[in-house]
Amino acid sequence: MRKTLLFAALALAAGSASAQLPFLSRRGPVPQPTVQGIDALRADFAAQSGGTTVYFGAETVGLAAPARTVLAAQAAWLRRHPEVVVRVEGYGDSGDTRDHALAVGARRAEEARGYLVLLGVPAAQLSTTSWGKERPGLGRSVTVLVRAS
Amino acid sequence: MKLTHLTFLLLGLGTAAHAQQQPGTPAATVIAVPPLTSPDSGSKGNQMLATGWDATQLIVSDLRQTPEVMPLTPNRDDYYSYPEVTAPTFSKWRSTGAKALLTGFVQGRSDGRLTVGCYVYDLDKGRELARKGFVVSPSDWRRAAHKCSGLAYQALAGAPGVFDTRIAYVAENGVGDGRTRRIAIMDSDGYNHRYLTNGSAMVVTPRLSPKAAQVAYVSFATGDPSVRVLDIGSGQERPLVPNNAISFAPRYSPDGSRIVFSMMQGPNSDIYVVGSGGGMPQRLTTSPGVDTDPSFSPDGSRIVFESDRGGSQQLYIMNADGSAERRMSFGGGWYASPVWSPDGEWIAFTRRGQDGRRIGIVKPDGTGERILTTGPGDEGPTWGASSREILFQRVGPGGRTGLYRVGLDGSQPRQITIPQDGSDPDWSGVMD
Repeated sequence: MRKTLLFAALALAAGSASAQLPFLSRRGPVPQPTVQGIDALRADFAAQSGGTTVYFGAETVGLAAPARTVLAAQAAWLRRHPEVVVRVEGYGDSGDTRDHALAVGARRAEEARGYLVLLGVPAAQLSTTSWGKERPGLGRSVTVLVRAS
Repeated sequence: MKLTHLTFLLLGLGTAAHAQQQPGTPAATVIAVPPLTSPDSGSKGNQMLATGWDATQLIVSDLRQTPEVMPLTPNRDDYYSYPEVTAPTFSKWRSTGAKALLTGFVQGRSDGRLTVGCYVYDLDKGRELARKGFVVSPSDWRRAAHKCSGLAYQALAGAPGVFDTRIAYVAENGVGDGRTRRIAIMDSDGYNHRYLTNGSAMVVTPRLSPKAAQVAYVSFATGDPSVRVLDIGSGQERPLVPNNAISFAPRYSPDGSRIVFSMMQGPNSDIYVVGSGGGMPQRLTTSPGVDTDPSFSPDGSRIVFESDRGGSQQLYIMNADGSAERRMSFGGGWYASPVWSPDGEWIAFTRRGQDGRRIGIVKPDGTGERILTTGPGDEGPTWGASSREILFQRVGPGGRTGLYRVGLDGSQPRQITIPQDGSDPDWSGVMD
């Protein structure tokens, strides 16, 4: 697997309830929910953004056009949801050596984070980390939930 | 001090150790290892002789694993008296074809501990090469035997032995995302195996302090990978740096006083150094891109590391204060995870190319490059104290990971036995 994943995982701001809401229809402008379940938020984020994952070429940290498209949609969603904090998790190449992969994963996460900030997402909504090559085969649907402080 | 190697003597013996010799490499020095004796008498004497026989067999087993020294199979009937430990009958042992002799004794002390004494002789010249005594608790007789093996190896092969050393690695159980990883440590012969972390957090790259009193490793416990330092004796643990930056690739200085490591600042990975007891990290590299996997020279004055500043991963050397950086690898492919040998002669590395990852060595001046393994999933070399053997990780079919030993003598890598899969080995120096 030469491609590399970058996951954006969602987390609710403090005070959010865990009760789930029905899946939201997305035809018109969306009223901002005051209380929404984490699973529904994640599903909505993925549906509205065209995915939670963006891909890099082998050994590269630059964003390709398809990645920018997904990130732009994610940025638009995040601007509508300032109560949601996102953790951007970068992944290295499985054929790489362990520590270089860790650094490359972090660079990719930073690259995506920087692009989201460029598109107007407040930096306080974003944090980054790297999994290096430590979770090979992790599916695209995996999200990691962290509690906002 | 070295003995002359005699090839013709080895031919008739035909042992497994000799069969592994490659053409063109010097043959092993044959050493006679009769059973250790004891000055004690009565039932205590019998007890000491029994421990001495166990120790003798362990010494033979240790030395048999080296390409440089070949022990004769010990014979229980080769009893000698305590005074003969320091005055052996050289002609008797010469007639066995051996070029060297190891004698010794086990003595019970009034405090319940044991004194183990070992002596190494050059049979041709009829003189002593080395002697050493060790006081250990009865349960630690293995360590005393390993010390005797090290004494003989140093005297005959001219390098510290790997017998009284430890290996830390990442023990891996389970599959996929449910795979647990624990830091494990064991004696270099696999004894005294135990786990230092409980598997609740993902861990990578344990790195032992020179005498294996501490281990620095990377934990994902907080969500961000970061270096933690664990005192193995007390179990106390602390983060290496007191912030939540991503930090990784720790390695101790040869005197144990400092730890070099990588830390991310934004998209930039640079190399830092910090006292192993704590303090403010000092930044050593500033180039954009990924600088990582630093390793000190044995005198602590220089650091080899990898950087992709030139577009691909290559090896660089700088002074320990970060000055005078220069590139030292120019071969094809990508060079990663350099580690300086304890004798200073070589730098082991992982070379990455179209055909996968392999382990190699190169002189610090960039010459003499040799690839030691066939790959394709090899990485993470670590040196044995002898500077003549390397331990590394190999990912086999199906993602199973294992630890392998390879010598610089051209022999094939052999897998070492551990209780489960394992990765990221780190080999300590000789213990005190």
